[in-house]
Amino acid sequence: MRKSMMKAAVSALCIGLFTCIGLVTEANAAAKCIKGDRKAPYTIGWANIYSVPTWMKQTEGTIAAEVEELKKKGLVDKLVITDAQGDANVQIQQIQSMIDADVDAIILIAGSSTAPARVVADACAKGIAVINFDSLVDTDEVTAKINTDSNEWGDTAAKWLIAELGGKGKILVLNGPAGISVSDDRRKGANAALAANPGIEILAETNTAYNVAPAQETVTSLLFAHPEINGILSLGGALSAGAILAMDKQGRPMVPITGENARQFLELWKEKDLKSWATMQPNWLGAFATYTAVQALEGKDVPAFVKVPLPVIDNSNIDGYLARAKDFPADGYIFSPYDQKLFDELLAAK
Amino acid sequence: MSSLTRTGDDRLYWRAQGERNRGLMGLFAVVAAFLALYAYLFPGLLSVAGVSKFAQSWLPLALVAMAQAILMLTGGISLAIGATVSLGAVIAATTMSGYFGVAGGIVAVSASGLAIGALCGVIAIRLRLPAIIVTLAASFIIGGLALLILPRPGGAIPGWFSDLLAGNTPAALGLVFLVALLWKLYLATPLGLSLYAAGENPVGAYRAGVPVDAARIAAYAISGLLSTLAGLFIAAQTGSGDPVIGQAFTLNSIAAAVLGGVGFLGGRGTMRGAIAGSLLLSVMINVMFFLGFPPVAQYVAQGLIIIGAVALPQLTARFRRRP
Repeated sequence: MRKSMMKAAVSALCIGLFTCIGLVTEANAAAKCIKGDRKAPYTIGWANIYSVPTWMKQTEGTIAAEVEELKKKGLVDKLVITDAQGDANVQIQQIQSMIDADVDAIILIAGSSTAPARVVADACAKGIAVINFDSLVDTDEVTAKINTDSNEWGDTAAKWLIAELGGKGKILVLNGPAGISVSDDRRKGANAALAANPGIEILAETNTAYNVAPAQETVTSLLFAHPEINGILSLGGALSAGAILAMDKQGRPMVPITGENARQFLELWKEKDLKSWATMQPNWLGAFATYTAVQALEGKDVPAFVKVPLPVIDNSNIDGYLARAKDFPADGYIFSPYDQKLFDELLAAK
Repeated sequence: MSSLTRTGDDRLYWRAQGERNRGLMGLFAVVAAFLALYAYLFPGLLSVAGVSKFAQSWLPLALVAMAQAILMLTGGISLAIGATVSLGAVIAATTMSGYFGVAGGIVAVSASGLAIGALCGVIAIRLRLPAIIVTLAASFIIGGLALLILPRPGGAIPGWFSDLLAGNTPAALGLVFLVALLWKLYLATPLGLSLYAAGENPVGAYRAGVPVDAARIAAYAISGLLSTLAGLFIAAQTGSGDPVIGQAFTLNSIAAAVLGGVGFLGGRGTMRGAIAGSLLLSVMINVMFFLGFPPVAQYVAQGLIIIGAVALPQLTARFRRRP
């Protein structure tokens, strides 16, 4: 009796284990949205929000290069590109067209963190691999999201500047456009460090597009209003270059400033012999998203969120970046080198 | 006697309509050609789901084109349409999932649109200020309000309401027809009748006893209402609110109205023209996608199509005038 009970228990355990293993392999078998009915070579749709800024052109360059690589391997046969010209409504319409055209994968920089959620979920339901990078959508109905951590961006920048100023000083805060998640998240990331250091006084904050000219214009007028500025917390793009040019025109002494890997900023940094800190939103996120889409379509499991680490550029390693400057457009971003090995490592990291 | 007069009126009515349509035939032909091309490139368009999805992307543009056209017919213009769309979207996304529910949200969105539009109208008309300046200033204020209500994209729309308006039913297409029908009814009211007169010859209309100012202010209020309703639909379509979602609509509403033959000087143009103009702008995006144009070529093609559609009626008119 007891023996048979044992047997039953063991067999139940076995069945349970097998089911578990079965479930696990099933969960590993395919990433989200993937149904397994799509076969190589794939058609990739690249739903861009705005193709004009240099950062976008460089990013598109890495996507096109990756597609060429994948074509050679017979995995991709076509890249379809749309440009919503900054209009989130048009982007939704274009993603709908991609669904109608039955592309195999959609890689996406969202023009709004909420608006494309429903159309993206529709794509996912049709078995299209959706890889969202850089500007993310608030939905889980995608194959994978790929990005750096915007909160960490702001936090690290603020901490560097506060340490540089010895916890005391008057600063300007330069933000990206208002109402955009990325600029909002970077600013929020800086909050804790700023609140913990009451010696830091924020003289003024700006909201401009991530470009040199508007930043230069607004900083110029702020300089007239504030004779004493000890530091600038610039939260991205080419804002820092605009600020340096504005101060230089007025003959103001240079102050510690944060920023991103914009070539113009890095060159001004070297030229004016500044003490600065910068990080990078790598353009190769585009190539990585393309690679990830094909990996998912090929049946490989990919993580729902891939966090790409933010590198630090400071006075110790800036020369390494500037050495490669000539390979990048004058108003572009000097991004770090990338290869398939790096992508595989990022996808393997949990 | 009275029946005789009515037939006379009818004849005049249809002649006026015919006159207005003549300039639009070219545009209608271009729109029909593009729709046919779209259906050829994407046969799935000719299904309930296909029509539904296309109408959903078109409806907001149709609404703002009408919002702009009604102002341009009275000799006005609005640069605040985009900001008003954003405001409508954020009000919908913040009220509808709260205590007052969907009905409360619709009331709040409509009331704010009417109020904002009427306020702009009163300032521009009563104080005799240029509409372009008043509405430019208003666009900053309204855009700021939207950002105050919702500093970053968020909020929510109940799922059933999103599915009702922007699911797999052609509800959006029905709404276009409904709004067009309401417009016809409005034109039959005293204020509606005054609209064209107030736009084409305000002084003459005023001397003839037409309530010019009231007609113009009413046009601003209706324009505000149509804009916030476009925002409401976008919120339903996307399931959320975004404080800057409407930005592109200011320029696109003017483009659609002008494409549709609505003049800048008032009194010239028709609503069906503006609706057709918006339809062309919307279908163009999808046609270029299916033709596989690269983005840079799309910029160029878009400009060429707009110029072509505007020039076509002029060219046909000139051709017709020749003996």
